[in-house]
Amino acid sequence: MERKIPADSSIAAASIPLPAGLTLPLEVRVHGRGGQGGVTCAKLIAALFTEMGLFVQTFGDYGSERSGAPVQAYTRVDRVAIKNRNKVYRPDHLIVLDEGLMGAQVLEGVAPGSLLLLNTNASPGSFAGRFERYRFGTIDATAIAREQGIGSTAVVIINTTILGAYARLLGLPLSVLEKAYTSLGLGGDLAAAKHAYEQVRVSEAVREIEAPAVSAAGAPPPAVAAMLGHSRDFPATLKTGSWSNQVPVYSEHPAPCNLACPAGNDVVGFIQALKNNGAEEAAAILLRTQPLPSVCGRVCPAPCMQACNRGAFDGAVNIRSLERWIADHSTLKPTPQIDEHPLHVAVIGGGPAGLSAAYQLALRGHSVTIYEASPALGGVLRNGIPAFRLPQEALSRDIDRILKLGVEARCGSRVSKADLDRLAHDFDAVIACVGFGSALDLEAKGGGLDGVEQGLAFLDRVKRSGEKLKGNVVVVGGGNTAIDCARTALRCGAASVKIVYRRSRADMPAIAEEIEDAGHEGVEIVPYRQPVEFLGSGAVSGVVVAEVEAGPPDASGRRRPVVTSRTSSLACDKVLLALGQKSEIELMPDGWKMKDGRAWLGERLLPVWFAGDCSTGDGTVTHAIGSGRLAALAVLNGCDAAQDGAGAADPVAPGQIRFSHFDVTPSHKDGQLPPAALAGNFQEVNLGLKGPEEAQRCFSCGHCTHCDTCLISCPDGVIVRIADGYRVDGEYCKGCGMCVAECPRNAMTMQDKNHKGVRV
Amino acid sequence: MTVELLSANHGAALAATLAARANRKGRGFCSGVYPITPSTECMEYLCQQKIEKGRVIKVESEHSAMGVCIGAAAAGARSFTATSSNGLAYMFENCIAAAMLRLPVVIAVANRTLGPPWNIWADHSDALTLRDHGLIQFYCADNQELFDTVLSAFRLAEDKRVMMPAMVNMEGFILSHTVAQTNIPDQAQVDDFLPLTDIPHRLGDVPHTLGQIEVPHQTEVHRWQHHNAMLDVPKVYAEIQKEFEGVFGRSLHDIVVPYRADDAETLIVSMGTIGVTAERAVDMLRAEGKRVGSLRVRLFRPLPTDAIRAHYAGKKRIAVIDRNISLGLGGILWSETRALADPGAVVQSYMAGLGGGDVRPEHIVKMLGDLEPRKIAGPPAMMEAV
Repeated sequence: MERKIPADSSIAAASIPLPAGLTLPLEVRVHGRGGQGGVTCAKLIAALFTEMGLFVQTFGDYGSERSGAPVQAYTRVDRVAIKNRNKVYRPDHLIVLDEGLMGAQVLEGVAPGSLLLLNTNASPGSFAGRFERYRFGTIDATAIAREQGIGSTAVVIINTTILGAYARLLGLPLSVLEKAYTSLGLGGDLAAAKHAYEQVRVSEAVREIEAPAVSAAGAPPPAVAAMLGHSRDFPATLKTGSWSNQVPVYSEHPAPCNLACPAGNDVVGFIQALKNNGAEEAAAILLRTQPLPSVCGRVCPAPCMQACNRGAFDGAVNIRSLERWIADHSTLKPTPQIDEHPLHVAVIGGGPAGLSAAYQLALRGHSVTIYEASPALGGVLRNGIPAFRLPQEALSRDIDRILKLGVEARCGSRVSKADLDRLAHDFDAVIACVGFGSALDLEAKGGGLDGVEQGLAFLDRVKRSGEKLKGNVVVVGGGNTAIDCARTALRCGAASVKIVYRRSRADMPAIAEEIEDAGHEGVEIVPYRQPVEFLGSGAVSGVVVAEVEAGPPDASGRRRPVVTSRTSSLACDKVLLALGQKSEIELMPDGWKMKDGRAWLGERLLPVWFAGDCSTGDGTVTHAIGSGRLAALAVLNGCDAAQDGAGAADPVAPGQIRFSHFDVTPSHKDGQLPPAALAGNFQEVNLGLKGPEEAQRCFSCGHCTHCDTCLISCPDGVIVRIADGYRVDGEYCKGCGMCVAECPRNAMTMQDKNHKGVRV
Repeated sequence: MTVELLSANHGAALAATLAARANRKGRGFCSGVYPITPSTECMEYLCQQKIEKGRVIKVESEHSAMGVCIGAAAAGARSFTATSSNGLAYMFENCIAAAMLRLPVVIAVANRTLGPPWNIWADHSDALTLRDHGLIQFYCADNQELFDTVLSAFRLAEDKRVMMPAMVNMEGFILSHTVAQTNIPDQAQVDDFLPLTDIPHRLGDVPHTLGQIEVPHQTEVHRWQHHNAMLDVPKVYAEIQKEFEGVFGRSLHDIVVPYRADDAETLIVSMGTIGVTAERAVDMLRAEGKRVGSLRVRLFRPLPTDAIRAHYAGKKRIAVIDRNISLGLGGILWSETRALADPGAVVQSYMAGLGGGDVRPEHIVKMLGDLEPRKIAGPPAMMEAV
């Protein structure tokens, strides 16, 4: 801390008047703990007095102990240069930064009538006359500094705050404090100092001993030890745990990937299990929440990877492909529990939500019947997602695993409104997972021409019986269905494929990698275009597209498309519409209403739950899986479906990960099918990972990996290994925060010692 | 000139910075540094400074830090480093090299006792290990004195009659970390005060060797030259004091600082900050009518025997307080100066404040209580400063 004082002689001109009643020479002693900023506090006090044109001297009494150890610091103030090089034994002003230090030792040498300023969250009255001999001020500087965010996650720094309270006790006007903070370059901490200035509470010394402090010169000197033979030694039996006001708490915190997973997967759990114990153990964790790992490991948009803290370091962990690796390299088949009184549940719809609900119920020993309109289970997975992204075998493997739990599948049974009403009577519960409604159409002239059709119908047909195309294809839309249609069309023999989308390429809701792959395969994306007319007589021969401008942002944050009158036309032989699906449920019997994922008949709650896209409209496989699981749990709990077991805790943030503990290691990329002629080739394009090494890159955010960093970093060696992690020895932990500062993954945090429920 | 609120460590670094900049029109400045408690702040501050034609090089050890300084000075640059305790011990070999090569490196030492067992606090035992090898040694007592001494040490060390390293000592923490107002001269004043560094034997255009092997006679000659150059230091320093006063308008401390010593019967002799504590003890004892004075030795190498002898003359009792111990002998200042007292005078060795103990005026009063009845000196005594 340096600053320049304009000099005319050897001392600065007073820029602040001396407060009335200040007696010189003045000695100030500050008691704190290493890391609290006590020494700086004494320096700030000195700086404040230099503003009054006085000579100062300030120094810390440094200990060999580290953070948390009691520390003293001193400031002397006088009208003449100060010769005294000793510590301060008889302070006129005593400032105690930590209430835990208060005791006879701290008060040693403090004469009655002296000023005592204590940082405490207790009221002055609660000290019951303990300090009535002193002019006694109290301030909760820790709370103020914490509120103002001064310090680090490990330690709150209170020196600049308490200086505000001290200025008030000195009798300095607030304007002087402001001026001093500005000139000391502490403007950022002024708000905290002002709070302290305003909140400090003072009780005056009781009258009969209100005499001014006796300064050192007049007092008998402290005793001097005799000249000894130096045979005496000091036992080192300090229980340094009493020094701490904060303690490290060894605990788990939610990883961002876990919180981001719509299916509710324990992502950190399965990756760490894969790393440490292999694919089978990883599968055991994954299969708790995820009935379709082979599917999600291929087609999930992976919000976990968006959330991955490693993204802020050297690229997110390739979580999706690790899930695939586990699914493709494990043989685990969960066995159902036995329930003495199994429920009988009907699940309507054999898509991802229905499969997930059925799986969770069957795992727990309940009897489940799935009613599926199509000839086979899978829903969009079977008839929508093309085989080059999701091969038949992968889907079958997951579905077989579910059926092996004893789930009954009635395929080819379309459920009518009357059926639903009947099922609600016949079964203990019904979970309806019927997906989105029918596909959205485009209101444009010529929509009825041959060759203009829904992309979903096209995809379904290709999967069932294959199809040959010729000429040019235009796909309308920007989601995964649009991309799938485009890539499928190329494989069916189309000469060219264009995707027409009304917003920017970056706004396309499809998975980014899929958009990229489509580009590599030759699909052309035509952004900012809206089809307004289909041309042709009988069969479609072209599309008139209008230019679209980006308007102001809508509720989704994307810019609203504004269709202009500028048009052009694209020649084509086929148009595939991929504009999304309606969200209404076409299945509801008369009088039924859906509210909060349940069916109601008037005021009566029916034993019917909804899950997946028909309930939430999230539109991804992973959301549907999560929704199906929660509906199953809700059936079992007989309560609403909206709740999950997860708490509302914040995920571990990138700033809480110690990047310096990790080597930069680029993400392991998925293998890709070598480029070949696309026509007729429905081989899986993405070959997945070559091995499970990617799991090594997981930071394991908030989840201890027993890496010993805390143990190694502890300056006092008071962290020990125990069976399930580590224990901090509270008798000796000084609360230095080193273990928390060094923990690579935020599996430890500092908490106030008087915090409720803290155990060390 | 400005007044700055600086720690002594920062003051030393700032003095070195001003000296460094003052050589910008000459052969520049180069410093090798390595941190050690309690000297670290000094090198940290120096590293933050922008110095035209100057470089501060962070190296991997104190030995290398002095290696950089030797290289810099051998090439004709101004040079400076800072260290402490076992760091100085590790630098020892190269400190001797700098001295024997007659290179005017200035070294700021934040004195700290040597370990193990480890103790980070002050005593003079680190610097005194280097007393015999041709480095000038000053011991300071306050922030301003330290700043002024570092600045003047460049001029003294680089004087052609002297031409050797100068070490400026401040007790660790007690002085190194104490913050107080310090007068800081303008660069123009420092430019006036410090001539451009000119090392006649620097490695220049004509190839030659520094520190090559020599025969016994050459060693005798070189030691004798070095010794005599050291003996010239008080004379050169006196000239520098005059210059200093002329340029900066204030005085530079003498090599010894007497306090109420002229009419004293008893003299307290010490170095560093204990010297000003002794002055406070003198005031306390004078108030009781005791004829006590103090002598603070600022320049320890070369030992200013004439000045000390002059102040010892006529004193009946002399208490020499050492913040050090030469194990197997006693206080080092005591052992070096006891022969300078009058015959029959009692010159008693007291050692106090080792490993950072706080030596207060009361300790010194107690020592004098021990000294007063003595007819002859006893064995060196240790005072426990708790």
